Amino acid sequence: MKRIIISHETRQLFRSGAFRALLLLVAGALAFAAFSGQRSIDRQVDGAMAATAFEDAQRAKMRADTEAYEARLAAQGGKYEFAGARHAPGAGPPQGTNAGVVGAQTAKYLTLPPTGLASFAVGQSDIQLNYVPVSMNPTHTTTNNLELENPLNLMTGSFDIAFVLIFLLPIFILAISYDLLSSEKERGTLAMILAHPISLKELLASKIIARAGVLVASILGLGLVALFAVGTNLDSADTWARFSLWMAATLLYSMFWFAMAVMVNVYGRNSAANGIALAGTWLALVVVLPTLVSLLATTIYPAPSRMELTVAARDAQTDAEKTYMARLDEYYYDHLEFIPEGDERATDFLTVAMANRNAIEKAVRPLYDEFQGQLNRQESLVQRFQFVSPAIMMQLALNEVSGTSADRYEHFLNQAYDFHARWGEYFSVKFLQRDPLKPADYDQFPAFEYQEEPFGTVLMRLVPSLLGMIVLLTGALLIPFLRLRRYQVATS
Amino acid sequence: MLQATKLTKSYGEIEALKGLDMTVEGGDIYCLLGANGAGKTTTISLFLNFIRPDGGTATVCGLDVTEQPLETKKLLAYIPEQVMLYGNLTALENLRYFSQLGGHDYSQEEYRDFLRRVGLEEEAVDRRVKTYSKGMRQKVGVAIALAKQARALLLDEPTAGLDPKASNEFSELLLKLKSDGAAILMATHDLFRAKETGTRIGIMKEGRLVDELSTGEVSHADVEKIYLQHMHAGGHYAQEGAGSA
Repeated sequence: MKRIIISHETRQLFRSGAFRALLLLVAGALAFAAFSGQRSIDRQVDGAMAATAFEDAQRAKMRADTEAYEARLAAQGGKYEFAGARHAPGAGPPQGTNAGVVGAQTAKYLTLPPTGLASFAVGQSDIQLNYVPVSMNPTHTTTNNLELENPLNLMTGSFDIAFVLIFLLPIFILAISYDLLSSEKERGTLAMILAHPISLKELLASKIIARAGVLVASILGLGLVALFAVGTNLDSADTWARFSLWMAATLLYSMFWFAMAVMVNVYGRNSAANGIALAGTWLALVVVLPTLVSLLATTIYPAPSRMELTVAARDAQTDAEKTYMARLDEYYYDHLEFIPEGDERATDFLTVAMANRNAIEKAVRPLYDEFQGQLNRQESLVQRFQFVSPAIMMQLALNEVSGTSADRYEHFLNQAYDFHARWGEYFSVKFLQRDPLKPADYDQFPAFEYQEEPFGTVLMRLVPSLLGMIVLLTGALLIPFLRLRRYQVATS
Repeated sequence: MLQATKLTKSYGEIEALKGLDMTVEGGDIYCLLGANGAGKTTTISLFLNFIRPDGGTATVCGLDVTEQPLETKKLLAYIPEQVMLYGNLTALENLRYFSQLGGHDYSQEEYRDFLRRVGLEEEAVDRRVKTYSKGMRQKVGVAIALAKQARALLLDEPTAGLDPKASNEFSELLLKLKSDGAAILMATHDLFRAKETGTRIGIMKEGRLVDELSTGEVSHADVEKIYLQHMHAGGHYAQEGAGSA
């Protein structure tokens, strides 16, 4: 019985030009979103690669110098010596032997590898770059120069698959089901159908199954196409696990909107009223509530502006430089005879500069921690308030699934900070001990390998969003289920 | 076959049915007459379980329609004032869909045969029904009832607005169904058709069945006279109505 209605409904859908046009539109939007998401991820990956290549070349050159120096010593004899920092090239040991110079002048780029599904939801990754430079400079400079993107782009977010799913998919679903019962009632076919041994519940369920079937097949099909087109690591189980979760989240979200259409329909109003009610629901849940939650987060936990952070860093630097100049001037004034020659003085400069960096780091650190702390508090407030709107839950779930969530980024940053400390210590100790870097030492530099979170952690973070959607969906299904018996087939 | 026992239904303040008792046997064409709002459509809607009664029972072949709605709907066919079909499907596709909903499936040829039997022009069968006239749609409605092999038919002013020829053809179809033993309950305003086609006539007024006639025992003129008497009796026009009748 139900099969008859399902196939009838499916045929009716495909006979409608509006439906075919809508389907095409969604497919087109998804294709464009996949392309746009991929471009955004590619830009990052390319950026990371270019930056890494540049820095690696710098270090390779320094290493080549030390190799040449070592070879020259082997041929001519002499001691392998430490070179003082200097700006003009000269005779003697190359700059590559000075750990302070290598550590300060070259940076190590750490990359957060994108997951296989990264292009599906760009998330915040356009403002939180997936590669950060680590050098002996203070920590805050690591994440400082990230907002390179067009601000308008940052404001509107990127046109990725998550955007299409969250904003456009509900419109598509509502467009094909806002008049689920009302159109049959208005056309007069509802009475014709219900004069047959079909219950209203069966009819509704079959109509939804027909629509959801078409939709799920399309999404699954288009999702797979997108995965093969823009996904990466297709041979990894992680990618497929993520894709399954992506599909599950998309299904839950879609079913919620179908349930909303059913709910509005069982109240028995006409199609126009249903359309308006559902458009209002969409506006409230997808646009208004997420904006309010975000507003709430930034109002309760306002982040100090980046500008403030930058100004504070400058102030600290200026202060340090001022005291450094004063101290140095004073020192040389008193001990004119100690004015070191060339190299020696420059070495002192580097030492003091390194000390200054420590001072700056100390001065800026509280502000930086406050900045990061506020961002984290904003994030956790959004996490707590996600349950007011399926759109927020969906966004968080998709970011999580795509590996572009704030939590994964923080996990990466923490590793980056640890590495920053290791990197700085390695070079500063060698420098202070005036321990010359040998070519072989270049292989001993601290190495960074991103440790991916266990998949269980990702799943645990997904639970609230997915569970929230399940609860919301159940509620949205229960109301029409209870209300259905009061539905008036005949009005008189 | 169709039986209403003490059937009552109110819409808010308005009492649409006040304890209706009636029976329609197989082979009967029972015509319900009455002014608009007398409760004819409400009676039919109650038999279809489209609305729930406030009291009393409606049964089809002994089955209570509220307790076994799906079972009773297998036995029923319904032809409303406007048979509404899917405009973008052909007559044959519509017939097939509704037949399948009723749990029947026939061959392509059998469907064509049903449509032929109700007198639908051959060339119209494969045309989308949005181009159909009302008469043609009513014929498809009868074909649906035929294909469903319904034991009882509920018709709500099915001939309203049909031209005399179409109306006559429709009546012929009803007589065929009647001879097959179906119980037919038809709400109508057409006294002439009621006398001509019906076997029994029930006159409803303000939610009550006020009179029942066997069409064999009365003339056309009698039907009209009795009907008008009832319409004028009682209510606000009681005095002048009684005088003029």
